Amino acid sequence: MSSEIYDIGYRHYDGPRLGPGHSTRALAVHSLRGVFGLGRTARSKIMPFSLAAVMLLPAIVSIAMMAMMGRRGMPYSGFAVFMQPVLAIFLASQAPTVVAPDLRFRVLPLYLSRPVTITQYVGAKVAAMTAAMSLLVAAPVTLIYVGELVIDLDGPPQTKEYLGALVTGLLLSLLLSSVGLAIASLTPRRGLGVASVIAVYLLSSASVPIVYSTLASTGNDAGARWAWLLNPFWLVDAVQVWLFGTTPNAEGEYPAGPYCGLVVVALIAVGLAALALRYRKAASR
Amino acid sequence: MHILDTEGLTRRFPTVTALDQLTVTAGPGVTGLVGANGAGKSTLIKILLGLLPPTAGGARVLGLDVTTRGAEIRRLVGYMPEHDCLPPDVSATELVVHLARMSGLPRTAARERAADVLRHVGLAEERYRAVGGYSTGMKQRVKLAQALVHDPKLILLDEPTNGLDPRGRDEMLTLIRRIGTEFGISVLVTSHLLGELERVCDHVIVIDAGRLLRSSAIGEFTQATQSVTVEVDEGTGPLAERLTGLGHAVTPHGRLLLVKATGPETFDAIRDAAADLGLCLIRLERGRHRIEDVFREEVESVV
Repeated sequence: MSSEIYDIGYRHYDGPRLGPGHSTRALAVHSLRGVFGLGRTARSKIMPFSLAAVMLLPAIVSIAMMAMMGRRGMPYSGFAVFMQPVLAIFLASQAPTVVAPDLRFRVLPLYLSRPVTITQYVGAKVAAMTAAMSLLVAAPVTLIYVGELVIDLDGPPQTKEYLGALVTGLLLSLLLSSVGLAIASLTPRRGLGVASVIAVYLLSSASVPIVYSTLASTGNDAGARWAWLLNPFWLVDAVQVWLFGTTPNAEGEYPAGPYCGLVVVALIAVGLAALALRYRKAASR
Repeated sequence: MHILDTEGLTRRFPTVTALDQLTVTAGPGVTGLVGANGAGKSTLIKILLGLLPPTAGGARVLGLDVTTRGAEIRRLVGYMPEHDCLPPDVSATELVVHLARMSGLPRTAARERAADVLRHVGLAEERYRAVGGYSTGMKQRVKLAQALVHDPKLILLDEPTNGLDPRGRDEMLTLIRRIGTEFGISVLVTSHLLGELERVCDHVIVIDAGRLLRSSAIGEFTQATQSVTVEVDEGTGPLAERLTGLGHAVTPHGRLLLVKATGPETFDAIRDAAADLGLCLIRLERGRHRIEDVFREEVESVV
């Protein structure tokens, strides 16, 4: 029977061969599908989709409040900060699925023996994770906005706040993805990657009140403000305050906006550089 | 036209010299690259893919320089790594389609090509199942399929028969031969087992410790030798005595006799001697060099 299968002659391919942009996009889409477990087993869809559902709950509550009580629930600018544990769990559980399998099962040589460079590979992975995270933020915020338009509250719709939240969400996603993927890529084991990312998040958020109260109790209020920047969600919120003039979602004030922006850019750069170094090392094995 | 050529190619690592002044060329067809583990085969392949810069010297693949035109080479070449490289949770189809797109094929073309090559390597219905449940033989086929999916001009196969049982090994070698002949794709295949390359290669390159030992057409390795193998049912002893008495050089080799042939008359003498003694002649065969023998001689002469 197998000889029948073999007897079909070999056909050469003389169709188009597309450039690096095409393969990078294809890899990003492939990875994005992987984040949500699409094309994988049902089990790998449970975590991302249940977290995405949890993200929608406050949006539904907000809409209900607008519809029944005629007043706003959560402000657009505070959504990501309020939902930070869910976003952090999503990052921790899904970032390793983006990077770990290719390292663990040594799939990387199959990419690098093709016209795909390390830069394109890392770029596609970061783009995929960023897209997934910002979808998680943008979907509920957009739902609230649509709800606001439909319910037609008193006063003009908060279009500027809504768009500001989308831009901030994108920036937050880029920051979380580049740092999260860099941490996750350090280990080829998925479970260890999950644990490392969540540990870094817990450390960063637990250190905020400790550093803040220590500095505040010694009367160093200006120094205490910097403590907020230890947590990525408040850090990006500080940038939002600077860029869009929203009210801070922390008790007290943030340091001057440009510095916060600088910290965000520096952290993203460190994350990307760590990823590039990590993969350069993996490729030379 | 040369499929690949190297000129004084050297690659040093901090502790070892993996390739040492290697100058070699290979034409179209199936070329075997033979060497013990650590002889520098995998290093050579990485350099040919443009993934590892040479320390000194140069190399060209399909006429393209590996140091400056690596991206173009990787577009035209397929690579099957030696080690496991398949993620277990995706199906063979999905993986091969994805890797075809990584080589620049549009979505529909990638699907068609993937279905085609998976059929050619002999994966039928199982290609829709997750790779994690595959046998070693099936995994090797998937690895081969991903190297072929973008219809390369040349494929580099690093130890494709590694870990296969004798039957799987045979099928893989047959497939490699077909790729080199029917498919019209040149093949560079590495192995540390010389015997298996004899069957499939047009040309064999032997390297040891990064140095070229020999590079020649397969015919030169396996040309006829001077000896004739004789097998008789019983009476090996009397036959040997009779032939020695007639002035032939006879060496017993287990149940066989190796007789040095001086010309057609040797064969006549053996036939007549067997007939006279009333022996049952089972085999009368002209001996051929095996590349193992050549390799052993070369290594000994170097050492």
